[in-house]
Amino acid sequence: MNKENKDYKSIIQDSIVKNSKKRKYINKLITVVLFGCVVIAIIPLVSILVDVFENGSAAFNLNFLFLPPGSIGSNDGGIGPAIQGTLMIVGFATLVGAPVGVLVGVYLSEYASFSSSNRRFAYLLRLFNDVMTGIPSVVIGIVGYITIVLALGSFSIVAGAFVLSIIMIPIVARVSEETLKLIPNSLREAGYALGVSKWKVVWHIVVKGSKSGIVTGIVLGISRIAGETAPLIMTILGTSLFFSSFNSPVDALPLRIWRLASQPYPSAHQQGWGAALLLILIVLSLSIVLRMISQKRGFQLKTAT
Amino acid sequence: MTCISNLKKIGVSLLALSILIPLVINSANSAYAQQKVTINGAGATFPFPLIDTWRVEYQKVNPNVNINYASIGSGGGIKQFLEKTVDFGATDAPLSKTDFAKAVNPVHIPETIGSVVLSYNLPGVTTPLKLSGPVIADIFLGKITKWDDPKIKQLNPNVTLPSNPITVVHRSDGSGTTFVFTNYLSKISPEWSSKVGSSTSVQWPTGIGAPGNEGVSASITGSPYSIGYVELAYALTSKMNYATLQNKAGNFVIPSIESTMAAVSASASTLPKGTDPWTSVSLTDAPGKNSYPIASFTYIILYKELSTNPSIDAQKAKSIVSFLSWAITDGQKFSKPLGYVPLPPAVVKIDQQTLSALTFKGSPISTK
Repeated sequence: MNKENKDYKSIIQDSIVKNSKKRKYINKLITVVLFGCVVIAIIPLVSILVDVFENGSAAFNLNFLFLPPGSIGSNDGGIGPAIQGTLMIVGFATLVGAPVGVLVGVYLSEYASFSSSNRRFAYLLRLFNDVMTGIPSVVIGIVGYITIVLALGSFSIVAGAFVLSIIMIPIVARVSEETLKLIPNSLREAGYALGVSKWKVVWHIVVKGSKSGIVTGIVLGISRIAGETAPLIMTILGTSLFFSSFNSPVDALPLRIWRLASQPYPSAHQQGWGAALLLILIVLSLSIVLRMISQKRGFQLKTAT
Repeated sequence: MTCISNLKKIGVSLLALSILIPLVINSANSAYAQQKVTINGAGATFPFPLIDTWRVEYQKVNPNVNINYASIGSGGGIKQFLEKTVDFGATDAPLSKTDFAKAVNPVHIPETIGSVVLSYNLPGVTTPLKLSGPVIADIFLGKITKWDDPKIKQLNPNVTLPSNPITVVHRSDGSGTTFVFTNYLSKISPEWSSKVGSSTSVQWPTGIGAPGNEGVSASITGSPYSIGYVELAYALTSKMNYATLQNKAGNFVIPSIESTMAAVSASASTLPKGTDPWTSVSLTDAPGKNSYPIASFTYIILYKELSTNPSIDAQKAKSIVSFLSWAITDGQKFSKPLGYVPLPPAVVKIDQQTLSALTFKGSPISTK
């Protein structure tokens, strides 16, 4: 009896040792594979950053940042109009795109789940929203060209901001909806139990509570539209002049990079690299600043309650 | 807590400032200088470096006129001109009959001349290769596939040619350069004319595509035993090997600013008036002893009645005419250093006649 017991024990122990060896082996293997994937994902990112930094940093100086371009190939002047244009177009696009996108997200998450007809509408809305995120930006550029450029008779910042906001809205809407849904229902119910009206619950509890998520969505949208080239070719055309009026062509960084890269002059390439580096820095600093603001806010709320 | 909300306020106001400051500065600028005129143009990529130099140089001549030129390609230039979204268009290929009819009285103003060179990468061969039109056509048709083909050998008896296969490189994007090159081949080879034809982009029988002059030249430098076509201005700045071509008179001519100018001078007497259609104008395969065979004008296109485009007012019309009169005369001195061919006097004269024929609301435009 005892002996048999011991045998079982040793058999179990053996198998545990065996199994654990196998498990450890598999664990290690999977860890290595996963790590390899991370490395594969990081290599292009890092090499792009290093390359852009190496090639672009030499172009940086005050003239480069503030002057309009000199004649091509001369290495004079800078990309002032492109910087101004990108800030303005992305700024205006965000002014339109962010609120609309967030409100669409609020509707989908808070208002659309009441009656069945609402739900069907919300389903369609979500579907079209997803389709919108998948539409190539060139196509949206053509829409802007036909509806605004041809109607106004000139390339303009209005058309550029319009197409960029169209690209931005579905991204912001999708992310906002997902973050709003993460707010636990009990918080909403607590609000209703205290007799708070619906819009107050939505605004003060749900939206404010998921601020950092919403900001993330907006940052995602901004970084996406800041690098768009194709729709801008068809709407703002590009120029070497600073902004002068709402119905004349403006410049933007991605457009300028593309134009500089297709020239045969090394100095133009140098400026193109510089512009690329600047674009990356702008998007990066914008997202860091916005994230810091939203995170500090979130932290503060938690300590206050 | 106050510190944090202050930070936030500062951040937001900085963002707002970065957008608003340029606005304010610019509106102040425009309020002070009422006379400032901006001329918007778009089109061919080929003359872009020259027009961009004019933009900067013309600022010194007339600080109140801003030139704004976007290089979006010849096709785009014609389209935007017809849609009246820009004040002038630019194209390497003259307007087709349908476009000419659609535009209602457009004018062609040749503003500079370019030529296309056959660039190649042949390790071990130092003497410039000699090629003729039919041989080039056969190479690009895929009929001559080896460098030591008897037809190439016959033209280059003193060169030891390798027996490697030829890699043909052509443009993958629509391009005025392609138009000029295929226009030349269509004139030289009936087979090319019927099989491929001439256009800004064609169905290539053989070879690999690369975008832009940049892409083609990078492909040629990167792959030995290849051949392709690039603009002269580009080949000169990037120091590539290029072939001497046999012209109509049977001479082998090195592509250069002088030999291209010879081709233009030889064709100058046959040019139409600026207000007539230029559809059939072509400088390729020009007569003359020293004429380089693959050359082309590049044109600015305008409406003869400038007010056809609603965004052109009397002042802008005047500025356009004075700018172009400057560009075809004084502006020509900037072409040579950039690898462009200056307009011969005969062409400048045609342009001046065209410019003086322009009207605004029916009355001629005085630039005085």
